[in-house]
Amino acid sequence: MTLTLVHLLPELLGTYGDRGNVEIASWRLSQRGIKHEVLTVGIGDAIPTTAELYFLGGGEDDAQIKASQLIGASLLTAVNGGAHIFAVCAGFQLLGVTFPASGGRTQQGLEIVPIETVPATKRSVGEILSAPSIPISTLTGFENHAGQTRFLQDLQPLGKVLSGVGNGLDTQIDGLVTSQIVGTYMHGPAFARNPELADWILSRVVGDLAPLHAEVFNELHNERVNSVK
Amino acid sequence: MPLRLVIVIANIFGALSRISKRGSGVMVSGRIILKLVPNSVSILARDRNVVLVSGTNGKSTTTALITAGLRTKTSVVSNFTGANLFAGIASALSSNSSAPTAVLEVDEMVVPWAITQTNPRLIVLLNLGRDQLDRLSEVRVVAQKWREALRNLPTRCAVLADADDPFVAWASMASTNVIWFTSGVAGHMDASTCPECGEILQWGNTGESYSCMCGFKKPNPEWILRGEQLMGPHNQTINIQSGIPGQAALSNAARAVVASHYLDVDLKTASQAISKVASVDGRFGRLQIGQTRFRLMLSKNPASWRETLRTSAQGAPSVLLVVNANTQDGKDTSWLWDVDFAPLQGRKVLVTGDRRLDISARLTVGAIAHEIVSNESEASAIFGDIDADLIASYTAFHRLAKGVKKS
Repeated sequence: MTLTLVHLLPELLGTYGDRGNVEIASWRLSQRGIKHEVLTVGIGDAIPTTAELYFLGGGEDDAQIKASQLIGASLLTAVNGGAHIFAVCAGFQLLGVTFPASGGRTQQGLEIVPIETVPATKRSVGEILSAPSIPISTLTGFENHAGQTRFLQDLQPLGKVLSGVGNGLDTQIDGLVTSQIVGTYMHGPAFARNPELADWILSRVVGDLAPLHAEVFNELHNERVNSVK
Repeated sequence: MPLRLVIVIANIFGALSRISKRGSGVMVSGRIILKLVPNSVSILARDRNVVLVSGTNGKSTTTALITAGLRTKTSVVSNFTGANLFAGIASALSSNSSAPTAVLEVDEMVVPWAITQTNPRLIVLLNLGRDQLDRLSEVRVVAQKWREALRNLPTRCAVLADADDPFVAWASMASTNVIWFTSGVAGHMDASTCPECGEILQWGNTGESYSCMCGFKKPNPEWILRGEQLMGPHNQTINIQSGIPGQAALSNAARAVVASHYLDVDLKTASQAISKVASVDGRFGRLQIGQTRFRLMLSKNPASWRETLRTSAQGAPSVLLVVNANTQDGKDTSWLWDVDFAPLQGRKVLVTGDRRLDISARLTVGAIAHEIVSNESEASAIFGDIDADLIASYTAFHRLAKGVKKS
């Protein structure tokens, strides 16, 4: 069986360079000799429901609504079949029950996780730093979003915000972690600035990973963390 | 206080700023003029032919090219040094109050204000793409602002708009007096959905046409650039030459010819004058650092990197990339991952700048062999006595452009 990474709708969910997460994941697997394929699902393509790891990135309002309509029930089917998801910003919001659309409307989400996103009065833009709830180093990213996200049940955040906004609504947390899903507001892309996050997610999919000596990512991580501290 | 006196005072402060090496003095004098006479731009623009130029990429170059075209016929005042906000526009107009024509580069967000203040004859809209998303708005927000601003233009004002760009086209359709231009640019990375209704935009197979089921579609262009041939609505044909390298520069030269023609310059005269412009404000200028002879190039967002990398690939095999993330560059470097760096494959690549680790990570994953250096001098020490390209983001470019040889 080939390991498949799915890049979902990059034309719609790809405003903030989040395609980098897919490229970095693929590169980190290749460096370790782990066979895999990357499947880019474009507008009009059938969305596979049996792949191992799905990536969703950030996008603008109209594009986010369109992506939600195109994905429909397929991603929930994949998750029920055991798939993992890494979702950033608009992609993260999409996974919830509702998210805001232009003109003050509320849009139905994919209802994969019990979260809802509401519009904020001020856009959150800037460096974000958080202390992860999983056993990896401090997380660093760049956030840029108008929505703020609330948990509708007791859920595990990805990190406690040290600087920046994250999910907002005075929660001081960023993102979400479940047994199969990681969501976050960190662009950057997140996997470029946080190699340990990339490997932590990949190891949940493929099992233990051999160490990888790719110093530039560690240096980038440290530089970004120190720039905010 | 009379505006003339205000300008004299502002120019003194501008000169002081220049002498004390705090800046070019343009911003200082412009700010003083606007502060003391808030409607100064409207007064200074009165009775002049004003041309406004805006878009994500190519503003400075196109402004300089139109200026060159129009100078064959009339005296022109312009701001093609990148000072394209309120103060820069005020300063430019005040610098020569007798020139009957003004060609003004305008920041995308300042377009509505500039239209109200200057009562322009022609608005040249180039393109809209993702750029500094932390500072500027997402693309369709800018398009919406333009659309509203173009809705009630006076009849004397025309819009020269790019039909290839769905956002420019959608915004310009609000005007009843549009001159549509095409250079056959295929596709648009931010236009997957229709600017009018938000549905999926249907792109033709070659990527040169687009339409939506709501009825929005690519307008029929009047001026068509194919290769180096520019064809007009009345069977005009003119050969376009650009002294500035690259496909984008050729398109901008063609637009400048059309703009000059609209303001009554003969096509051939305009084309010849425009072809002689070889460098605009340091772009493609020569810069000697140590023994290395660099050709300086500006790249600031995914669309401009794509164009610059393509142009650079025709040049010297060695290249230095300088990436910063100051306010004017955009503080978020995520977009580096939206750029295809494959044209660097097989070249000798060095990287530097405040965000050299971001670009190094990007190139590592893209399998582009490269080395990190601490600054341009170290790059020069490695390159030695050769010609090389130097591609820099906005703030690095403007720092380095000061050293470009004037020729």
